Amino acid sequence: MAGRTMDAGLHLLDRQLVDCDGRLAGKVDDLELELPEGGGPPTVTAILAGPGALSRRIGGRFGAWLEAVANRLREGDDRKPARVSFGVVKRVGSAIELSVPRADLETNRLEAWTRDHLIGKLPGAGDAPD
Amino acid sequence: MRLTELLGAEVVDQAGRPAGRVHDVRLVQDGPLPAGGFGASLRLDGLIVGRRAVGARLGYDRSRMRGPLPVKLLFGWVRHDGRYVTWDRVERLEDGRVLISGSADDLPVPEPSS
Repeated sequence: MAGRTMDAGLHLLDRQLVDCDGRLAGKVDDLELELPEGGGPPTVTAILAGPGALSRRIGGRFGAWLEAVANRLREGDDRKPARVSFGVVKRVGSAIELSVPRADLETNRLEAWTRDHLIGKLPGAGDAPD
Repeated sequence: MRLTELLGAEVVDQAGRPAGRVHDVRLVQDGPLPAGGFGASLRLDGLIVGRRAVGARLGYDRSRMRGPLPVKLLFGWVRHDGRYVTWDRVERLEDGRVLISGSADDLPVPEPSS
């Protein structure tokens, strides 16, 4: 084996995602694997994060409930979990360092939804400094 | 396909004999270069199968782990129960099952993770 070897469960699952500014951007809840069209072993194409990804790991009724809640907090009919392309992963260590700001990530959806639909509608919310 | 579809799946050999469950998935960073990415992508090399999950999840099966000696011996012994299935032996994935070619008796013990 020429390249670096790592075990997905041990070295990647549940690790913290850190954006290019050092801010926390979620955790690794699952990985997306893609089988190449021409055959051969699958490659990791994305990190899946957030309640939509975690619910499958939890399973059972609580997992189904969590997935339903995650789907309700989403715009449109998109039922996929938040996806971070593995192409933006800069380094895998005790945390997963990303090359982009967290505002650009799908993992920021819940925070954005809460800001737009709940916090932003509170009286005086527009007076808060940037 | 998702990683969690593989974790926990039962591995069954050509004769229908169970070889254990998938406890982890070994990746090697030597896959094709992703567009705009940092280094090679992670290729799935094989499946770690067996009962070694506890020691492995605690990091006690790493090659750099040097002691304490009783812990090292304990988890070294547990690791002998584990088996490694290279991806080229995977014939088919079914719901919760991984069907492999050949016999479960031929599967090697997994190398310690780095």
